[in-house]
Amino acid sequence: MRAHHRTLTRLAWGTVLAYRADFVLQLLGVAVQTVAVIAVWRVVTAGGTGSAAGLTWDQLKAYLLIAFATGTLMSGFTDWQLAERVLSGNVALELVKPVDYQLARFAEALGYVAGEVVVVLAMGTVLLVAFGGVPVPGGAQAVLFLISLLAVIPLKFGLIYLSGMACFWTESYYGVGVARVAVTNILSGALVPIALYPDWLQALCRLSPFPGIVSTPALVFLGEVGVAEAVRLIAWQFVWIAVLWLGARTVWRLAVTRFSAHGG
Amino acid sequence: MIEARGLTKVFRRADKPPGLAASVRHLVRPRYAEHTAVAGIDLSIGAGEAVAYVGPNGAGKSTTVKMLTGIVHPTAGEIRVCGLDPHRNRHANARNIGVLFGQRTQLWWDLPVRDSLALLRDIYRIPERRYRARLDELEPVLGLAGLLPVLARKLSLGQRMRADLAAALLHDPRVVYLDEPTIGLDVTARDAMRGFLRDLRRTGTTLMITTHDLGDIEEVCDRIVILDAGRIIYDGPVTAIKDRLARDRAVHFTLADACPGVDLSTDLPGSRTVAGEDERRVSVVFDRFVHGAGDVLAAMARHARVVDLSIDEPSIDDVVRRVYAGAIGDALPDRVR
Repeated sequence: MRAHHRTLTRLAWGTVLAYRADFVLQLLGVAVQTVAVIAVWRVVTAGGTGSAAGLTWDQLKAYLLIAFATGTLMSGFTDWQLAERVLSGNVALELVKPVDYQLARFAEALGYVAGEVVVVLAMGTVLLVAFGGVPVPGGAQAVLFLISLLAVIPLKFGLIYLSGMACFWTESYYGVGVARVAVTNILSGALVPIALYPDWLQALCRLSPFPGIVSTPALVFLGEVGVAEAVRLIAWQFVWIAVLWLGARTVWRLAVTRFSAHGG
Repeated sequence: MIEARGLTKVFRRADKPPGLAASVRHLVRPRYAEHTAVAGIDLSIGAGEAVAYVGPNGAGKSTTVKMLTGIVHPTAGEIRVCGLDPHRNRHANARNIGVLFGQRTQLWWDLPVRDSLALLRDIYRIPERRYRARLDELEPVLGLAGLLPVLARKLSLGQRMRADLAAALLHDPRVVYLDEPTIGLDVTARDAMRGFLRDLRRTGTTLMITTHDLGDIEEVCDRIVILDAGRIIYDGPVTAIKDRLARDRAVHFTLADACPGVDLSTDLPGSRTVAGEDERRVSVVFDRFVHGAGDVLAAMARHARVVDLSIDEPSIDDVVRRVYAGAIGDALPDRVR
């Protein structure tokens, strides 16, 4: 990272601080939703004594906590801001600066992630206290989990960045945003573990980048997959990170060509 | 500094007739209408020149500036800014230019102005010492010190414009494009801004200002380029076009007694006498190359006792108004440049 990337991260963090109340409220909403989903699963697992999708109540709880954490990281801010820049035409201001647009946005996103990490730690603690502890992995499993969790950040960035850029074509963000969230929630396993899906949908998920942002770190955390399988899933995360990053560069070039042909 | 030859931009716009059936048809087989925003412009601007770029809305001013800054690429023609093609070498060009879009801000809305400037310092890799020196240079005219700790969203429009100007000039660009730099500013802020732009010119910076504000043109620029329907219809000194088109001067009289029907057109051939708000007020409009204000006063004194008078100098306002009204074709049989 160059100096201006660090500054961008710092400025984004500053924005989080400026809107801390709003920020916390928004994520509190996500936490409440998580509480609701956990409560539903508690009923499904017969008050926490049975199992569902091959997962015990404790494991399900852990799964949903990870889903909360990965859902919170890289959420909110960046998505809308990307679109806003395009739709308002302010992206023109970026075009007259000697900056790599994509890297700059990533640096900014990291500043927001810093705020989200704080929220995840705080809310996670509350949820753990409310619903009881979860089995914590150790050794290689813990290391693999941390890697897969970190990979969530650039992976989600790629997805959000690409959907934000769709505005160059659609000239409105609402539809794109709703579609992205819907597809992400279903295919990532954020609401329901992918193992519960019919085979054809599971196959589709496995090929897509989406399980990498929820399901992969959750399964690694639970120890539902062995080390070899975990490494394979994480490798798949990184393949998608690379594909999305490079794909986004191509899309950006096309978008700028279009923007500069149509005048913005 | 800026060289453009045969600069042309043709936009393709979706031609969508109203109605559901028509919009479905457009989905299946889109039809487009071509619109020429800029039609073959030649422009050559030297170092340290300040050029006003003027024309009615839709004349192609913004499109030209977008092409010169590299945001939009031309359909045809060539551009060199400091020897670079601004679209192909967008990043290299960006280091040479400063851009202010008066209606947009590049400040971080929720953060102190200082943070936005620090980001630009890092983007342009300005050494800390140079950065501080630059802020000191900008201080006396832009009054930055008071603005640095303030959140951008708490700034007044005038303050915001000053901060944005500092942001555009921080890296000491050789060419500066200003799009409506005084829009929305109050009189004091406007004067301060114009004074600053004059100073900037003196340091050898090339300025190109698109504006509807006539004061900006008269007080900052000595060259004016007038654009209409994508073509340059005048390119030359501001004073020359004023002499050609803004010949009318007006003297407004307040008379001691009501004097209905007073008319100086026989005393001063070619002049017009216009009745004022009441019968003691009357204005005389005359060609300043034919009559002097003294002649007008002397003529009026023969008809009535003059209590007070004021004189309206011709302004570029008249020129532009006539240009916008389409009068320039007759008034300018030859192009000055």
